[in-house]
Amino acid sequence: MAGNGKVLLEVDNLVKHYPVYSGKLIRHKTGVVHAVCGVSFELSESETLGIVGESGCGKTTLGRTVLQLVNATSGSVRFEGEELTNKKGAPLRRLRQELQVVFQDPYASLDPRMPVGDIVAEPLIVHGRWNRSSGPRRVRELFRLVGLNPEHTNRYPHEFSGGQRQRVGIARALALSPKILVLDEPVSALDVSIQAGVVNLLEALQDDLGLSFLFIAHDLSVIRHISDRVAVMYLGKIVEIGTRGQVYEAPSHPYTQALLSAAPVPDPKRERARRRIVLEGDVPNPTDPPSGCRFRTRCWKAQQICADEEPALIDRGQGHPSACHFAEAAEVV
Amino acid sequence: MAEVLLEVENLTVSFPTDEGLVQAVRGMNFTLEPGRVLGIAGESGSGKSVTSLAIMGLLPGNARIGGSVRFRGRELIGLSDNQMAPIRGGKIAVIFQDPMSSLNPVYTVGWQVAEMISEHQDVSKDEAWKRAVELLELVGIPRAAERAKAYPHEFSGGMQQRVVIATAMANDPDVIIADEPTTALDVTVQAQVLEALKTAQARTNAALVFITHDLGVMAGIADEIMVMYAGKPVEFAATEELFYNPRMPYTVGLLASLPRLDTDSSEPLRPIPGSPPSLIDLPSGCPFRPRCPLSRERCEIEEPPLRRIGRDRHLAACHFAEELEERGAEIFAPIADDAEVISS
Repeated sequence: MAGNGKVLLEVDNLVKHYPVYSGKLIRHKTGVVHAVCGVSFELSESETLGIVGESGCGKTTLGRTVLQLVNATSGSVRFEGEELTNKKGAPLRRLRQELQVVFQDPYASLDPRMPVGDIVAEPLIVHGRWNRSSGPRRVRELFRLVGLNPEHTNRYPHEFSGGQRQRVGIARALALSPKILVLDEPVSALDVSIQAGVVNLLEALQDDLGLSFLFIAHDLSVIRHISDRVAVMYLGKIVEIGTRGQVYEAPSHPYTQALLSAAPVPDPKRERARRRIVLEGDVPNPTDPPSGCRFRTRCWKAQQICADEEPALIDRGQGHPSACHFAEAAEVV
Repeated sequence: MAEVLLEVENLTVSFPTDEGLVQAVRGMNFTLEPGRVLGIAGESGSGKSVTSLAIMGLLPGNARIGGSVRFRGRELIGLSDNQMAPIRGGKIAVIFQDPMSSLNPVYTVGWQVAEMISEHQDVSKDEAWKRAVELLELVGIPRAAERAKAYPHEFSGGMQQRVVIATAMANDPDVIIADEPTTALDVTVQAQVLEALKTAQARTNAALVFITHDLGVMAGIADEIMVMYAGKPVEFAATEELFYNPRMPYTVGLLASLPRLDTDSSEPLRPIPGSPPSLIDLPSGCPFRPRCPLSRERCEIEEPPLRRIGRDRHLAACHFAEELEERGAEIFAPIADDAEVISS
């Protein structure tokens, strides 16, 4: 399933800052939430890049900024060489057909008053690709593609289980035959026995249609299972990026190591034999991130240089980029 | 045989609704001994949380409760709120998923822990405050003496959950019920809170009922595990036995459908086909039958009892549990389009 090398999406030094206002009578800007701070990566054809991190690390904002659902503060997003961040109106709509999205909550992301067939047809209508004879056929085909019964197009979302609703969301995202899907926690709301079917479906769709996935999730096991490459985010930045094997078997950033060591494994003997890296304290406030390395306030390796100088995301001899002055591979899973 | 703290016997809970009777718990049985950790696993709607609420007497008035819950021989079902009050938060403590549903936003955390102590014990205000600070320190709140004067909203989710753990252990409980205590937390925080919980349990030598859907967390904390499906326990065994030799197709399916952190595999997962049944309209016979690859005629006629199978203290509710010895996870196919059965 690994990508064939042709780069589809290039994200370069992407920044998204949200202003914070206060004052009752006269609103004035009092600060900035550093949600995404200089993120760069590439996504190739038929490749899955997993974006993993804890709440507030900026992974969802990253997905939305890539999709142009929120405007980037600075930086660049290019799809097949074409810049997205400076486009508006018709040119942006044309490019949007190539990048579609699946959201986390299959209850909130489907209009409860629309039959699911109409939900799946809507992107075709919006983009002027609906045709009275071929349209319904395309919708039925999409239903079959995601493992739903094509007879059920006139049912409403509440008649479906969580897993089936997520399939409706996937069918809607596929309606315009996009090249890239941004999946934001697509299986987090589902029970494990249902989640597995949706994960398998996504993998099968990728094989059949040659899709590229930007797969955003907090679940380290799901990310390992589905990704070709993995980027780990902390406080708006990628701290480590590499192939799945590099990141999981030889993580070199202390945060990646702590994160992986904290994730439980469903195997009692292994789980009880593991050494946990228990981090001190909490994630710092994103309106006032620490100087230098953003992880230094919780890092056991931190020294003066970490406060003075921000470590670049570069290969430090481990074969893959890591944003730590003292990067060193360790086995923690 | 060690002393039995809590005995749950044939507990049933149902809720009348406009659509019909929701059978949330259909016969729960277990006993608890001091210092042991009983894990209750299962997916949404399996009856795990309703069981814990029933034990604590916290179900809404319209719930119909049957069976028996005995704490040190005393029947708890049917006790009035006044009669329950000294037990709740005293000898039996509970920790819920969302710490802000347990904490009062208008009082300092130290006040809330201290209140818990003075409610159940005859101590002075100062003494209660001193003990509260000690407890907050014990669950890993840095600068506890100072932080005790802060309000819940000044704490992060993980820190709030530690405060709840401190209140839970305040009166040296015999039983702590933790209902998805780490589900809302990030993994690194989850690891910290689990440590705090283990400390609390070791200090009080309480029996812990740990309810979770996360089998990874379960693997690390439980001594014994009960798996629930459609309101009933369907398998019970010591933790290692359950993970390495599951004997109920549902448990086998749950384990097979998990993506693994600890192995590099691109093999497709093995999902359980279909979805859990409606608790209003359960299928005849075994409730897992419509999703079960082993199901045959007998499963339709007769609901399998939780019975003892070969090994020591291993119980499973499947007519064909013995067949799983040979086949294991293979009974589930690695498929994507699992032709889900549309309910209604």
